[in-house]
Amino acid sequence: MISVESVDKQFAGRQVLNACSFTVPDGKITALLGANGAGKTTCLRIMTGLLRADAGRVLLGGVDVARQPMVARRQLGVVGDREGLYERLTVAEYLSLFARIQGLAGVDLKRALQAVREELELDDLWLRRTRGFSQGERMKVSLARALVHRPQHLILDEPTRGLDVLAARLLRRTLLRLRAQGTTILFSSHVMSEVSELSDRVLVMAGGRIVGGGSPDELIQKSGCDNLEDSFVALAYGAATDRRTQEEPA
Amino acid sequence: MAVANIFSGQMAALLRKEFLEAWRDRRALWMAICFSLLFPVLLAGSTIFFVKKHTEETTRLALLGGDSVPVLEQQLRGASLEVDVVAQGEPRALLADGYDLVLQVGEDFVEGYRNFRAPKLYLYVDSSSTSSGRAERHLQERLGSLQQLIVSQRLTARGVAPQLLAPWQLQVRDISTPSSRGALILAMVPGLLILTLFVASLATSVDTSAGERERLSLETLLLQPLPGWQLIVAKTLAVASMGWLGALLAIAALVTLMPLMPLAELGIQQATTVSGVITMGLLLLPLALLVAVVQILLALRSQSFKDAQTQLSILQLAPVTLLMVLDMSRVELGEPFWQLVPLVGQQQWLKGLLVGDTVSLPLVVAGSLVCLMLVGVSVAVGARALRRESLLGAV
Repeated sequence: MISVESVDKQFAGRQVLNACSFTVPDGKITALLGANGAGKTTCLRIMTGLLRADAGRVLLGGVDVARQPMVARRQLGVVGDREGLYERLTVAEYLSLFARIQGLAGVDLKRALQAVREELELDDLWLRRTRGFSQGERMKVSLARALVHRPQHLILDEPTRGLDVLAARLLRRTLLRLRAQGTTILFSSHVMSEVSELSDRVLVMAGGRIVGGGSPDELIQKSGCDNLEDSFVALAYGAATDRRTQEEPA
Repeated sequence: MAVANIFSGQMAALLRKEFLEAWRDRRALWMAICFSLLFPVLLAGSTIFFVKKHTEETTRLALLGGDSVPVLEQQLRGASLEVDVVAQGEPRALLADGYDLVLQVGEDFVEGYRNFRAPKLYLYVDSSSTSSGRAERHLQERLGSLQQLIVSQRLTARGVAPQLLAPWQLQVRDISTPSSRGALILAMVPGLLILTLFVASLATSVDTSAGERERLSLETLLLQPLPGWQLIVAKTLAVASMGWLGALLAIAALVTLMPLMPLAELGIQQATTVSGVITMGLLLLPLALLVAVVQILLALRSQSFKDAQTQLSILQLAPVTLLMVLDMSRVELGEPFWQLVPLVGQQQWLKGLLVGDTVSLPLVVAGSLVCLMLVGVSVAVGARALRRESLLGAV
């Protein structure tokens, strides 16, 4: 389980996260929704240990990310909003690098590489350097890197952005298979159809805190809307509108 | 044991990644190779040109009205002074015609000479020509010694001892050794070798730090269970390998070109031995590491890839400028203290080795240890820099 407890974060005096708290249950897919600037990416970066929280803490399988970053990173796979590939390495070299950094060696290393190669259909790309890869190919390699050490927790920041239909479908299939294997998955997205199809649970973020959470059906019920998109708009932009009204009294 | 295995596996994987990335970057590799070969070739070329110009070039003199002074013509003519007697002509036209100098004998020269009246000779030069200064000095020397001879003969003929007109005789004795003459000619080589370290590693250091940050692949590395110092060490070793390769290539090229250089004509004896070359390579290694880690630190604190390139381009001029300033100042750089200062120490040792002098092993070891200590401190600073949120553009 991932547990975010009362996390605050400021950048240059601007409050980006404000006592943000939520949990991501084991073996489920949780979607984190929010308008641009709501604080999703900052929150995900604090969860991965790239940024430090000003207050509060993040527990990853019971491990405090800020206090024991090395332990936390061993059970975490991250796919960022850009891929961060090494263009002068082949896919095999790239994945082998990250598998070995995660402590895999010998037979385990070979098995792990073979597994991601098959699962993510990387045969054609395996010995190619990543320079000139399409967006879909880059995402596949990036996802393979995040999964090669079989992490218990997987965090993805807008993973389907820029993907074509086939690549997005492969990604969805992979996430569903990982959920079946018990992996805890948290992803941010703006694509409501994808959120409806994949998520067991949806968290809506606005103004640096969670303003709504539950299964897609529960959110629709709570908001009294007809679909998830309307529910999200009501929760996210409604909250923002309320806050603006409070900050700027007539 | 398991922890040690993970550590060594991690470090080996990181090193492999950094070296593959560095050595597969053709642009960086070509930059390193080209600069490393460029300066030895330029040095050899300029030395050959300099000697050729001074030893093989002849002065062409037109002796206008010289048919009346055949003895003067005969006395002036020599291996490096070609004299053509010209009965008549315009000095400007003769200079334009390819003569370096025109010496005009006045009409009353013969009579004046016979009557001891110091008749006039007119020397025409084109001072805008690059060869005019050398040609003029050449002729003045010839005329000067001829004049001295004639004065002596005239005084002797009249029973006057020529020594009366020369209260002393100045004789110049050059006490320089081939080694010290070599030091003068090769003085710029250590500075250029150090500059090679900076230039050869520049592209790789920018790519592995500011470049990785811009491509967001640094963020991916920071998400791995790796201590920051391991990242900096791996990057430093890869960058240093490129700089060191450049310096080794430059030393090899220089030593290979030395037999082609006219060192003997300059009175210099080639003193670089194989062991000297190996020592030069080894003593540049700690400096290569220091240069690499400093470049990485600067590039990490820059705003962008372009900013990093600009900062490091300026930085590469700093060592050569510093060494030139120290060389020109009256600071005694041979003192043991200075040999503990990175850059200065290496410059002094390289200078000595290039001309076959011995260098003090304890000072080399101590200076190298100081250098490595600074590398260690820089790695620690770099590891802290990787934890800065501004590094990821978050602030």
